[in-house]
Amino acid sequence: MIIALFFSILFSLAIGITAARNRKAETVIIPTLDVLQSIPILGFFPIVIYGISAVLPGATGVDLAVIFLIFTSMSWNIAFGVYEAVRSIPQDYLDLSSMSNTGSLQRIVSIYIPASLSRIAYNTQISWAVGLFYLISSEVISEGTSNLNVRGIGVDIFKFGVAHDYTAYAYCLVILIIAVIIWQFVFLREFTLFAEKYRFGDDPHGAHKDYLMRVYSWVNQRSLSKLFLLKPGRAMSGIATPLTSPLTRYKRGLKYSVVFLFLVFLGFEVLAIVNSARTGTTAINLSALPGDELNVLVGLAYSFVRIWYVYFICVIVAVPVGIVIALHEKAYNALVPVIEVIASVPAPALLPALIPFTLVAGSWAGEITAAIVIFLGMVWYLLFNVMAGIRTLPGDLWELKRSLRVSTLQAWRHIYLPSVATAFVTGSITAIGAAWNTLIVAEYFGSSGSAPLTQVGDGIGKIIVVATNRGDQLTLALAVLSMTVLVVSFNLVVWRRVYRYTTKRFAYNR
Amino acid sequence: MATRQSSSADGTVLAASPTLTGAASSGAAVGGIDSWKGPIIEVEHVNLSFTKEKASLPVLVDISLSAYKNEFVALTGPSGCGKSTLLRIIAGLIKPSSGHAKFKGQPITEPRHELAMVFQTFVLLPWKTSLENVVFGLSSRTDLDEETKRKISTQALENAGLSGFENVYPAELSGGMKQRVGIARALALQPQVLLMDEPFSALDNLTADRLRREIYSLLINPSSSIETVIMVSHNVEEIVELADRIVVLSSRPGHVVVDMKNELPRPRNKKSDEFLQSVDKLYSYLA
Repeated sequence: MIIALFFSILFSLAIGITAARNRKAETVIIPTLDVLQSIPILGFFPIVIYGISAVLPGATGVDLAVIFLIFTSMSWNIAFGVYEAVRSIPQDYLDLSSMSNTGSLQRIVSIYIPASLSRIAYNTQISWAVGLFYLISSEVISEGTSNLNVRGIGVDIFKFGVAHDYTAYAYCLVILIIAVIIWQFVFLREFTLFAEKYRFGDDPHGAHKDYLMRVYSWVNQRSLSKLFLLKPGRAMSGIATPLTSPLTRYKRGLKYSVVFLFLVFLGFEVLAIVNSARTGTTAINLSALPGDELNVLVGLAYSFVRIWYVYFICVIVAVPVGIVIALHEKAYNALVPVIEVIASVPAPALLPALIPFTLVAGSWAGEITAAIVIFLGMVWYLLFNVMAGIRTLPGDLWELKRSLRVSTLQAWRHIYLPSVATAFVTGSITAIGAAWNTLIVAEYFGSSGSAPLTQVGDGIGKIIVVATNRGDQLTLALAVLSMTVLVVSFNLVVWRRVYRYTTKRFAYNR
Repeated sequence: MATRQSSSADGTVLAASPTLTGAASSGAAVGGIDSWKGPIIEVEHVNLSFTKEKASLPVLVDISLSAYKNEFVALTGPSGCGKSTLLRIIAGLIKPSSGHAKFKGQPITEPRHELAMVFQTFVLLPWKTSLENVVFGLSSRTDLDEETKRKISTQALENAGLSGFENVYPAELSGGMKQRVGIARALALQPQVLLMDEPFSALDNLTADRLRREIYSLLINPSSSIETVIMVSHNVEEIVELADRIVVLSSRPGHVVVDMKNELPRPRNKKSDEFLQSVDKLYSYLA
């Protein structure tokens, strides 16, 4: 995982600096990163395993695939950090360096990298949490879908859980939690403190000492497409002409990348038809393709509904609980570290412990397990966002509430609920995004070669896992791409509008 | 035309329009308050200290002051002297460590409906229009129906110079207009005491100037319910322009350095010699 982190940082520095210093590169890179970070990477994992183990057979290949996956999960976020950091270097510093005839390599080493350090440190903390989720998930998947053994705590957790060795399973969980705490509070804190020295003036992110506030602003920058954040007004009022304004360039780049994705999708379809036509009677025949297509669509629909009903459960739980905790100073201080630790345990790691309980439900076991895993994958984003929404309200507002002698009921209706609206939408976007990722573990759970322990009736995650197990690469590619297209277009069409509306009407700090 | 404000020409609004009387006050208390002849607000030997790492940090030391009927009182002093804290003690938002603030002889232990506050940062709810913000200010008036609240609020907005802006959201208002909404919200409560915490300091100079010129006659006039205004400010000219009484606090821990009357005739000419002399005099107390 540290290897992956190292490469993530290198990659991010290269990409981020290029994007920030070169207009043309920016047009392509930023929207692409944006699309990439909003797609469910986990779905691509089986494809990656196939690709890499074709070149490098054996356990090393799978290890590489895992590292690669974690790398992808972490680097978008860090790359954005570098990009923003380099973009915000005061012009004076750049003028200084060009006046003193600094070479470009020296400029990178002495200005760009130091300037990016604090953002890298900051985003690394976050990326690490995300990476941990992928680590466990990918290890669980690779154990479930391939006959190759990867070593890692994720695999151990999975094995002990499946073997009903709950003592060992509990040990693994405890070790995982301890590792999380040590990493978060010892290593990353030092790195952050070290990087603090390299900040230019006031960086709103660096100012957040409160862990929750950091999570909150991370959620904002990670989950929200940059398109959401760019306001037309800003582009218009800037000195830049409309043609070169960031928004226009961004939109154009976004169009390109969507078209590109669509072409890839089409390409796969065509390839599949050609392929099946050529192989004729063997593995795939032509008539199976429309069937696959239909299966994938039905699976998508099931998963879509599944995610949304679990989402509504999350909302009903997270919003009131979040508000209540955030309102009470003592509860907040006591509970946040606890919630943080629980939240840092990736949902798939808890799966084995859930199985015995859900099996009681008989034929509904698969559905309930899936719901619980998706719930655990989503609820923290909503909870943290709602809490942060309340905590960031200005102190004057509480004085106003008291001096107007507003009753508790009135305060909920007129102050608390509307004031968390923006944070709530942000949290929802992230939560739904995360939910698509958990599907692959949630909808079908078992080790290869044996019958699944739990599974749902239908769902895109199940299709992906089953296709991987069967070696049906066509269905796999089809499923993953369809899911990606759905997620990206839903973001662009629905969430963007909701986000715009809520920030316009409900954002507090203006 | 809503006529609640203008109907009570003698200033005794509580008696003149019983529907607007606070539901919380008992009948006896209302009678006592109405015939009250002493200072409207009285601060008696207030001390306040914060405990930090087991050490007691004094913020306010033995503060006593009075504000009488139809008086505009300015509280000033260097930054960190605790003037805003003192205002919040009067508002009932902060409990003093010892001593107390009184409203017409009754100790203030919590926010009361007779006291309204105007904030430096306006504190408008961004998801509510100007009118809805003012209506929200009447939340505690469970005795009024929605229709009456809207009527009172519309009138308050009109008085604050915002007719026509009832359905506009705060984000679309300028800073000066936002503060007018804040003032309207306070006026709608028909308070007897208005507390203002640096009401003009978040506004640009021109806007603040204009609002300042209007505010005195808006607040202190025969048809207004307001009997006393207490304003926290660090702007010397503003204080000399508006205040009838000026209380200067020292830097932390805050205690009263001087409590003086400002008897320049109104309207006050900021260019006149007397005005400039008063400004110089106040500066000398602050320096």
